[in-house]
Amino acid sequence: MNHERRMMKTLIRIGPLLLVMLMTGPGAASNVLAQEEIVCIHCHSSMPGRLGEPVKLWRDSIHAANGIACNDCHGGDPKDVANAMSPARGFLGAPKETAIPDFCGRCHVGVKKDYLQSAHGKALGKGGPTCVTCHSNHLVLKANLDIINEKNCSKCHGFEQARIIREAMQQTESLIVSIGERIDRFKGEGVDTDRLGKGLFSSRNRFHTMFHDLDVEKVKQESTQINVDLNKLAGTLDKIADQRNKRKLAGVWVVGGALLAALICYLLRKTYD
Amino acid sequence: MNILKSVYNWCEVRLGIKELVEKELTGYLLPRNINFWYSMGSIILFIFVMQVLTGILLLVYYIPEADKAFGSVVGIMNRVPFGWLIRMCHVIGSNMMVLFVLFHMLSVLFMGSYKSPRELNWLTGFVLFTLVQALCLTGYLLPWSQLSFWATTVATNSVGAIPHIGQFLVEFLRGGKLVGPPTLGRFYTLHIAVIPILLASVIGAHIFFLERIGVSTPPFGLDNTKNRWQGDAFRYEGHPGGIPFFPNYLLRDMTSIAIYFALLAAVVFFYPNLFFTKDTFIQANPFQTPAHIKPEWYFLANYQTLKLFPNEFIGLSIQGAAMTFLALLPFIDRGNEKHPLKRPLFLASASGGILLFIALMVWGHYS
Repeated sequence: MNHERRMMKTLIRIGPLLLVMLMTGPGAASNVLAQEEIVCIHCHSSMPGRLGEPVKLWRDSIHAANGIACNDCHGGDPKDVANAMSPARGFLGAPKETAIPDFCGRCHVGVKKDYLQSAHGKALGKGGPTCVTCHSNHLVLKANLDIINEKNCSKCHGFEQARIIREAMQQTESLIVSIGERIDRFKGEGVDTDRLGKGLFSSRNRFHTMFHDLDVEKVKQESTQINVDLNKLAGTLDKIADQRNKRKLAGVWVVGGALLAALICYLLRKTYD
Repeated sequence: MNILKSVYNWCEVRLGIKELVEKELTGYLLPRNINFWYSMGSIILFIFVMQVLTGILLLVYYIPEADKAFGSVVGIMNRVPFGWLIRMCHVIGSNMMVLFVLFHMLSVLFMGSYKSPRELNWLTGFVLFTLVQALCLTGYLLPWSQLSFWATTVATNSVGAIPHIGQFLVEFLRGGKLVGPPTLGRFYTLHIAVIPILLASVIGAHIFFLERIGVSTPPFGLDNTKNRWQGDAFRYEGHPGGIPFFPNYLLRDMTSIAIYFALLAAVVFFYPNLFFTKDTFIQANPFQTPAHIKPEWYFLANYQTLKLFPNEFIGLSIQGAAMTFLALLPFIDRGNEKHPLKRPLFLASASGGILLFIALMVWGHYS
């Protein structure tokens, strides 16, 4: 009760101020909350050479875009400068080459499995590529077909087989990209794209599992099947687009009707004047 | 037909409908030189009615709980038949309401209609303007989107700049230290009950004052553009030989309302996302601050003003002083002249003020 009385008294005292606040436009302010900065970035970004380079590379990576920071992979305490790199706080540092698939596979569980089953994974520790050979380490790129290129593949072997696989996957990749863009556009217009997004996510994941498969026939078959699912999604998107076009057509009638009503009122008034 | 006539006669002997129509409609005369800007009030009233109706329809499906609000709005936009149309009319209508209230205020300013004896009309109009802004602000949070959440965080933060009691006020507005479910409960109550009731009451008072004192004569097309009010006694400003409200002026109002409706429909059907950003369609996430949160267009000038000053309290005080000056203008500007071209100081200050407002708005948008 005392608390309520105190609150009421304070409110009475500050009433006029509240009114001024209301008048001055309550939506206005400048101090947008800054995102919490982690200490790894704070120190390493000002370091020269190989110690500062990872931060610059990471900033343009898919990890940075998705909010995955240094400590998410390397461990440690991102809030304590003194103990940021303490093993007691879970700091792992950089993994050895053979440990890289396990290092990345803590999050990318399915991809690790696909990789280990592939010819690439079987050559781990025997000169075969690891995750970072194709995906880079700090400038981690979004998994897409561009990663399968002559420059990357020719580091270890000829590009011919990779080229056939890439061509087989090209149509699916284009479909995924275009459907993704359409979903994003509709989402930005208030369309409930949750189900469509999940459908695309599932197809994209299935597609990505093939990235580590080197069996050309299997890749072709699987791509065809994924394309069928993607075309269903494209059909649903076409229906949404169609519905929105119909809305615009209805809009023509409504706007036209309102303008006609305005004209009739105007002419009627003229007759009375 | 006879039944209708009997019903009319029954009402007539009890209510005096004929006399009422004569007094308030056909016999209610308006100045002959009345112009388009006099329809702004009717348009605003029409918008208010539409906002109430669409708001009530939205209430049928909206769930005012932090974990369900966003989903319920998505449902309204995608699954409820014509839900998108109702919500779009409500959202775009709110922006239109602010725009037309500004137009109304500007026309009153430039035609000198705020001058004596219409101080109360101006004051109630000014209160309506702030209530409309408050209505928009509280409604902004309800969809519980990223934009709603962070814009409200930013807006309520600004109150914290007031010395000594700032933090108390922030917590009072939010119902806690941060924007959260209690804030939604507070803003919801304000938006659907407290502010609309206040708004309807002040609209009533505004119309009552207009009805009592009469419609002001526009200063255009007249030789004598001076304010004729003596100040010695109450006098209704009649307009003998003027235009009857019904049917002549009502048809003018209807023309303006139909044009407004065409404008609203054009935005709703062809540019529905004019007032939306991408963050509008992402559920609120207290742990992820969007990159560029900006207030709605009508708060951009205030937002930019605050950014110009190193101390937020100074920015708030300057805005408060400017708004207080505007609210008390009829008591400050006591001159008799109503024509804007015969009031050079007023014309220069008002035009400068409008240009400054627009410049700050554009600057705020691109900053």
